[in-house]
Amino acid sequence: MIHKINRVPQWIIGLFGSALIIGLLTFILKIVESSLQIQLIALIFLLPVLGCTVLWGLTSGIIAGFLSFLAFNYFFIQPFFTLNVHSTLDLITLFVFLVVAVVVSQLIGQARQAERVAKKREWEALRLYEMNSSLAGLTDVPAILQTAARELIDSFPFHQVVLIADGEPESKPVVYQLPRDNRLEEPCDLELSMFTERKSEGKIRLWFNQKDLSLEETRLLAAYSKQAALAIERAHLFKQEQLARVLEESDRIKTSLLNSVSHELRTPLAVIKASSSSLRGGAVDWGSAARQELVETIDEEADALNLLVGNLLDMSRIEAGALKPTKRWNSILEIIRGVEQKMRSQLDQHTVQYEVPADFPLVPTDYVLLEQVFVNLFSNSIKYAPTATPIRITITVDGENALISLVNQSPHVPEEHLDHIFDKFFRITEADKVTGTGLGLSICKGIIEAHDGRIWAENIPDGFAFRLTLPLTLKGERPRIPEEPADE
Amino acid sequence: MNKDPLILLIDDEPQILRALKTILGAAHFRVLSAMTGEEGLALAATQSPDVIVLDLTLPDLDGIRVCEQIREWSSTPIIVLSVRDGERDKVAALDNGADDYLTKPFNIEELLARIRVALRHSAQSIGNKETVIKAGALEIDLARHQVTLNGEEIRLTATEFKLLSYLAAHPDRVLTHQAILSHVWGFEESDHIEYLRVFIGQLRHKVEQDPDNPRILITDPGVGYRFRIVE
Repeated sequence: MIHKINRVPQWIIGLFGSALIIGLLTFILKIVESSLQIQLIALIFLLPVLGCTVLWGLTSGIIAGFLSFLAFNYFFIQPFFTLNVHSTLDLITLFVFLVVAVVVSQLIGQARQAERVAKKREWEALRLYEMNSSLAGLTDVPAILQTAARELIDSFPFHQVVLIADGEPESKPVVYQLPRDNRLEEPCDLELSMFTERKSEGKIRLWFNQKDLSLEETRLLAAYSKQAALAIERAHLFKQEQLARVLEESDRIKTSLLNSVSHELRTPLAVIKASSSSLRGGAVDWGSAARQELVETIDEEADALNLLVGNLLDMSRIEAGALKPTKRWNSILEIIRGVEQKMRSQLDQHTVQYEVPADFPLVPTDYVLLEQVFVNLFSNSIKYAPTATPIRITITVDGENALISLVNQSPHVPEEHLDHIFDKFFRITEADKVTGTGLGLSICKGIIEAHDGRIWAENIPDGFAFRLTLPLTLKGERPRIPEEPADE
Repeated sequence: MNKDPLILLIDDEPQILRALKTILGAAHFRVLSAMTGEEGLALAATQSPDVIVLDLTLPDLDGIRVCEQIREWSSTPIIVLSVRDGERDKVAALDNGADDYLTKPFNIEELLARIRVALRHSAQSIGNKETVIKAGALEIDLARHQVTLNGEEIRLTATEFKLLSYLAAHPDRVLTHQAILSHVWGFEESDHIEYLRVFIGQLRHKVEQDPDNPRILITDPGVGYRFRIVE
């Protein structure tokens, strides 16, 4: 594995280890020498060679081979206690022993080496896999850097890791450091770039003790940095894809908006054009009742156009998330009554009844936006409720909220559609039968939600109800009312 | 010689200028027009118009800056034209010297009425101010601190009277929440719009025929209040 402390080289351990084992073996064999043949002793001397190779690797095996050869020659081949050899047979035995010792230690050593490399590779692969799977689900750059830094600290003997991801154009780079406490002194010991096939995604800066990283460590580090680079690139691509999807969606909305709106814009324009051109062309007498009628029509249709353009503007603001209500303390009743006054001529078929406690508190709302909500709710009622039916407004306190209900006698909406009537362009009836863009209720929803309120619809036994809630507090506070000095 | 009043129109939309010139001309006003802020400022300085009608969106200068600059040397009434939802702009214009505003698209009767009010107002500021203000059945005697409705005296608290008399002293003109609050309660209270909601509500119950459908104390959404002299 990768070691955290500097150690004695492998071959020195091998040298001392094999010297010890062979010394011990020589001592034992010397005691029982008389009962053994020289060839058997040679065979027994092969054992420490095998053992050392298995224990400490190829170099130690070869060292053990030579040590065994020397011990065998010195202690067991006549003349004893010299390295001289007298008999030809002994010379052959010695030679065969040396060859076998070297070859065997070579073979075992290679096998061991291969196994160790395989183990190391397996470990690297495992670490890489771990890093990969912990990066897999991440789509934001800071989290990626954090995970990568943690993996680097866990797998390498680094003191400090700093990862710097280049931001997207015009945004700042993201920096993550582990351990979090103060930065070690510059310069760092190693800096490498996080590269993908396309470009550099950032830098890794490392502080560590060792002079150099081993070959394996360098290779693993390169793989880590590549993984991190790919993850960062993926995060960037993910973001772009999301953006593209939003654009696509808003494009789709715009298309249906255009389809719906061009009809609605043309109708009042057609009426205005027809009326104004007939006035201009002298088709009607100046001063006649018909002329007055045409002039009124132009005026009304211009108002209708203005309302439509206002709704479109609100819609695009809601869509862009740019609808920011200016909340001030307002009387809901005053707002609704104001709208009723403005729409009096359109509401001529309906009476509006109010049920509001006399001391109902002020509610933090945007006056103009809330007007728009009730303009849309009233015009919805005018469209769908039968003529000469009342519209009832009730305002009550419901816990921390004001609960406002608008009840009219419109026909029931199938339960499964109740939530959808606040969606853009949603219509239950066919578009030809009722005028409008299908925007009104979705604008109400957008405005009420921008006030942190809720709006919904209910079928009730005696009609149809729009209900909406609005928080009664602004930044957790109720309105302050000054003390009035006593009446004189 | 009694000449017709001179109106200066500052607006970058040629269609609006064309329509307004025709209508104002027909209503016996003399009309001058400018399509940029700089041009407007130059005409305001050299021609001394009686009323300035100013669009807030101009190609070169912000309309609010034009307001400010005119106010440095002139008290000519300024009526601001703005688009819907520009409450912030309206309030900024009013706080920077504009006298009134209208939202586009506007009713021409409304514009003519506002111009007349502005002319009356500038004539008044030269002459002596009226101390008795009448709005329908309501009569306010500013000097004697007396308010009557249909000839009967109404009892108002000190704050209510201060509020009512401030509004009545500027008839048919919009006063911003902040202006009213700092006048009645002092500058440091000028954020507390809730005071206004409560006291205007109380006043409406005392001076309006139908407090739920006010005809005199009119709310100007998001901007302020207007004391309307019912004609």
